[in-house]
Amino acid sequence: MDRQVIQSTGFHNIKDSTGKITGFTFRVRLPYYRGVYLSQLRPGTLFVDGEKFTKDEITWVFGGEEYTNEEMAEDYKTHWCPTQTAELRVAKEGGLAQGFHDLKYGFSFESSYMPPFLESDEALDPDRESPVFMPEFGHHVNERRLLIV
Amino acid sequence: MYHYNKKGLKRGVAVYSYSAEYGVSKNLEDLFAELYDMGAHGIEILANTHIDGYPYPSDEWVENWERLCDKYEVEPAEYGHWIDSHALKGRELTTEESVEMLKRDIRLAHRLGFHVMRTKMPVINEKLEPVTNWREIIKGALPLAEQLDMKMCPEIHNPSNLKGGMVKEYVDFIRETGTKNFGLNIDFSVFRTKFDEGEWRDPQFTPNKPEDLIPLLPYIYCCHAKFIRMNDQFEETTIPYPEIIKVLQENGWDGYLLSEYEGTDKYDDFYEVGQTLRKHHILLKNLIGD
Repeated sequence: MDRQVIQSTGFHNIKDSTGKITGFTFRVRLPYYRGVYLSQLRPGTLFVDGEKFTKDEITWVFGGEEYTNEEMAEDYKTHWCPTQTAELRVAKEGGLAQGFHDLKYGFSFESSYMPPFLESDEALDPDRESPVFMPEFGHHVNERRLLIV
Repeated sequence: MYHYNKKGLKRGVAVYSYSAEYGVSKNLEDLFAELYDMGAHGIEILANTHIDGYPYPSDEWVENWERLCDKYEVEPAEYGHWIDSHALKGRELTTEESVEMLKRDIRLAHRLGFHVMRTKMPVINEKLEPVTNWREIIKGALPLAEQLDMKMCPEIHNPSNLKGGMVKEYVDFIRETGTKNFGLNIDFSVFRTKFDEGEWRDPQFTPNKPEDLIPLLPYIYCCHAKFIRMNDQFEETTIPYPEIIKVLQENGWDGYLLSEYEGTDKYDDFYEVGQTLRKHHILLKNLIGD
């Protein structure tokens, strides 16, 4: 895995069975020192070259299983191990054009043992940084410039 | 599987220390190889971090775990895990659901050859006190823990105090139930006497003296040998290591001292936590004589 949260491997357009491009996908790693259950995740907003995609337009794939935002919020039994990347899928007719793209994506996670002021909705806002930065929890918002071929 | 047949103080490593490198530049076997270099015979893993496929690893993963323990002469010393009762946004898990989560970890720890667990309970306030139903959760899992010879140990860590209310509640619980399957993990941060100028220090924190360990020793099944600053003469400059080791040795304590480094500089570019851990193991080896 790359040290960066947004991974260089796995960024490409998605085709359906007829070969039509229906969207794009990219991978992230968990910047936390331990794994989390899917319900602990707080997915946020994606910007690609400034174009906004809300959390409801993005699905997450773990071990081949695809989850919506709502499905993850209820699932406290499926676990995301930090040695595995997660694949994010975004529907977009025609996908992304060949060339450079600036990705900016926010997600955070509840950790259950931190003092309550660090576990509030405000502190866990995936689109803003936590009031206290802890390297072993990583940043909520991560950016990377990557190529589509 | 490998067993280190020695009584008294033993050296181990909490591989949480490698958090900045694990999965990026080091894999599980690399961590075992690091322990072998240091002559450490005990490992603490974090279940949610170091077990691929947690909480249901494959048989192949478990076979590889056993192979690594044998090859690198390392025994499972402590299984770090969490009771994640706050995992759902809308509600806290019921006592029954939390007990199920805990029992699942006890079974997995047993499958991997552990007898001691660092059991982390969800926190409800700034004093880091556990959920109010912690007694019911632990009681629900005690029969299984007894059957599988497993000891569940909350960690006592700065700013908590060995003479404080939380430790007293845990000790009272052990005395009331008479259990041998619930105890304590003492993190040496409770003995820290020196802070850098301008460094943040929790206002609730008062350092313990090494002898404060003595009344608790029957309940201590593992220690986190926390270290903050190691100098090039292999001394820890903020925690009175020689005095702590002396108290443990003179009172015949038997168990693992698990080196744990949580300094955030380990996330700096090119930082090598393995070298910092080796410094600490020179200190421990000199003090313990093994």
